[in-house]
Amino acid sequence: MSGENTFSQHCSWNSVFLCFDLFFIVRMFVFQRLQPVNRSRMSGSPAVRVSIESSCERQVQEVSLDGVETYVPPLSMSQNLAKLAQRIDFGQGSDSDEEDLNGESRESEWSKQNPDEEGPVKFQPCLWPWDSVRNNLRSALTEMCVLHDVLSIVKEKKYMALDPVSQDPTVAKAPQVFQLISKKKSLATAAQVLLKGAEKLSKSVAESQEQRRQRDFNAELLHLRSQWKLRKVGDKILGDLSYRSAGSLFTHHGTFEVIKNTDIDLDKKIPDDYCPLNVQIPSDLEGSAYIKVSIQKQAPDIGDLGTVNLFRRQPKARPGAQAWHSKLEAAQNVLLCKEIFAQLSREAVQIKSHIPHIVVKNQIISQPFPGLQLSISLCHSSVEKKNQRTSPDKTKPDDHLYVLEHNLHQLIREFHKQTLSSSVMPHPASVPFGPKRLRLAGPMAYDKAEISSLQPSDGLLEKIIKQAKHIFLRSRTARTIDCLASRIEDPQIQAHWSNINDVYESSVKVLITSQGYEQICKSIQLQLNIGVEQIRVVHRDGRVITLSHQEQELQDFLLSQMSQHQVHAVQQLAKVMGWHVLSFSNHVGLGAIESIGNASAITVASPNGEYAISVRNGPESGCKVLVQFPRCQAKDLPKSDVLQDGKWSHLRGPYKEVHWSRMEGRNFVYKMELLMAALTPCP
Amino acid sequence: MRCSVCQVPVAEGKSVQQTVDQLHKKLEQLGGVKQGSFFVDCETYHTTGNASGQPSKLLYVMHNSETPLSCLALYEGGPYLTADANFDVLMVKLKSHFQNAKGHKVESRGARYRYCDFLVKLGTVTMSSSARGISVEVEYCACVVPGDCWNLMKEFMQSFLGSNAPEIPSVFTSKPEGLFAPADCMDTMSQYLELFSKVRKQQVLPGSSVR
Repeated sequence: MSGENTFSQHCSWNSVFLCFDLFFIVRMFVFQRLQPVNRSRMSGSPAVRVSIESSCERQVQEVSLDGVETYVPPLSMSQNLAKLAQRIDFGQGSDSDEEDLNGESRESEWSKQNPDEEGPVKFQPCLWPWDSVRNNLRSALTEMCVLHDVLSIVKEKKYMALDPVSQDPTVAKAPQVFQLISKKKSLATAAQVLLKGAEKLSKSVAESQEQRRQRDFNAELLHLRSQWKLRKVGDKILGDLSYRSAGSLFTHHGTFEVIKNTDIDLDKKIPDDYCPLNVQIPSDLEGSAYIKVSIQKQAPDIGDLGTVNLFRRQPKARPGAQAWHSKLEAAQNVLLCKEIFAQLSREAVQIKSHIPHIVVKNQIISQPFPGLQLSISLCHSSVEKKNQRTSPDKTKPDDHLYVLEHNLHQLIREFHKQTLSSSVMPHPASVPFGPKRLRLAGPMAYDKAEISSLQPSDGLLEKIIKQAKHIFLRSRTARTIDCLASRIEDPQIQAHWSNINDVYESSVKVLITSQGYEQICKSIQLQLNIGVEQIRVVHRDGRVITLSHQEQELQDFLLSQMSQHQVHAVQQLAKVMGWHVLSFSNHVGLGAIESIGNASAITVASPNGEYAISVRNGPESGCKVLVQFPRCQAKDLPKSDVLQDGKWSHLRGPYKEVHWSRMEGRNFVYKMELLMAALTPCP
Repeated sequence: MRCSVCQVPVAEGKSVQQTVDQLHKKLEQLGGVKQGSFFVDCETYHTTGNASGQPSKLLYVMHNSETPLSCLALYEGGPYLTADANFDVLMVKLKSHFQNAKGHKVESRGARYRYCDFLVKLGTVTMSSSARGISVEVEYCACVVPGDCWNLMKEFMQSFLGSNAPEIPSVFTSKPEGLFAPADCMDTMSQYLELFSKVRKQQVLPGSSVR
């Protein structure tokens, strides 16, 4: 029984193990292991229930053909128990390490001591398989209790306290450098990524620009083609800027080449005047040119001919025009100027005239009038000679006749049109080429005058010389009239120039009047028709006078007309005032001979016959006015016995000259009116 | 512009050249200005291929320096034609139908005078380079209707031709009276044709014979 007691004693330790009840109170197990402090505690705290369950998963025994799984039937309670019991190793104790050892030693002792009690000992190995479970659980409980106790003690802060682990200062410093390096590296990586992306972007932009440039080039080419003639020769694009298709017969080829403008740096900003197209014009058409036509006094010596190289400011290109457009236009202008000059020089050499024309280098000189020189020069300057801009000729008045330059251009264009005129075609097969009217000259029996009117007779040079002559004559006439008008105040000379005129003919109406008496004294009205070489004057009274180009002739003529006007004015005034005209002569044969024209004279008598005024006016001698008094007023008349009657003293007698310059009145007619009024006594 | 007349004056005891010089002097004294020269010529063509024995009609092709680009073809009294200068070439091509009577070519060459509105052409009529007579053509440029200015022209002609001034040519009298019938170059040419026919019919002029 001692064995049973010991066994029971031993079982008191293992009483829990002997219990086949699996729902075991851990508290009791832990109770024996914990501190006495906790024991009381542990005894009052609620029990921790631990439940152990086996997994509910059942093993699949088999899967039938229709997918139904057959599970292994779970072991029943008794089967399970039996399985577990077989695993119990009764030969071992399983409390703690020491007690395990003790247990083992005790168990070994006990097994040595009590081989009899193998029976009940055999009963115990049924519980040993749970030993490890129990030990593990008990150790877990121990750990948990310890932890709980530690935490509760720490909470009180009486016996235990929590302290943070101090940071090692050396560890804090080192990361800054690392941070820097790491930041640097990360930034570098980021930068690399960004750079790659930027590179890609810029490449794509450059590509699109290139495409745009290509498109721009094509667009520009289209634009160019809409205004200029282009053709493709091989891989070059050539154009034609000559006037050949417009009827010119000049032999210059006038070909320009269109090239692509690739000298542009894509990275830099594209300039505003960038153009993807560039034109290459022939080298002899570069720069700009114009034809200068001027009339000068004849140069005393012929030595310095051919040095005309005046240059005027280049006309500013239109803001909207492309560079190539202005370049091509300038080149075309140069070509046209060259053609004009070639034509002129050819004619100057071929055509015979009284005074031969001189052709020197780029100048043609001819003499329209004696003492005068007409020079037509081709002024062509290339772009490099920009320093000639500030030529000293700016101080000289510009005697360039722009009208004639324009006319030259027009004439050459007319000539082009004639060669291209459609009146040539269609024509009958039997007649040669020519204008239609000329073809009819034969069958219609045109005479020479009609034929010559059909044919163009004058060449370019002759035409332009005629025009220059006319322009010069016209300007000189105007200058003469203006000079006279400013010099002489009484009578006044008025010139009314006609707006409508021809290149070869202009007309002006010249009126000579006295101020204040325009309605009364308007007998001198002259119509001047200025031609190429002569001036034809048509007087109001029907006379037609032809004056030559000498300005002295015109001046003399006008002066003579002005002197005649004064006398005419007296005549008209006499009519108005009631005076009688006794005699009137436009050209008196008495008195001094005038060098210009003739003197005119008039004698008028007062209404009652008492007084008479005699006026003699000459262009050079001026005017002379004499008044005839009645005899009774003359003081120095000898009394005669012959005249008995007093009535004879009322006859007019001696003459007395009037100091005309001391007369009151602003002009001749006014003075005359005052004189007449003074000599007419009030009734 | 085209009212002219031509005639043959008679030279008394002088050669043709002397008469012409005389007339020149008279005109210059009158105030005429010499303005170059003129010529009128006439070629005769026979029509060939005539079946019947009738005398073939003669076609006269005339040129006038006043209308230098024209060629005038006339049948005597018959239809007239004014053509281009290429008509001569055409006549060459029509050689088979028209034969040129080369010996019958008559022409008149001389000086041309202008006196205000009058144009006077004094010419020597030659046939195969022998002078046969003198032709005087007077043209009054200001008038187109011959009937209106005939008297004026006759007076003018009398001033330098004296008694040799002719009567109004039949060309103008045959024109319908009252209607506006302007004279044209064809009238001139028909008058010349008459003159040349007269000259052709005459025998060869001896040096100093009277005509």
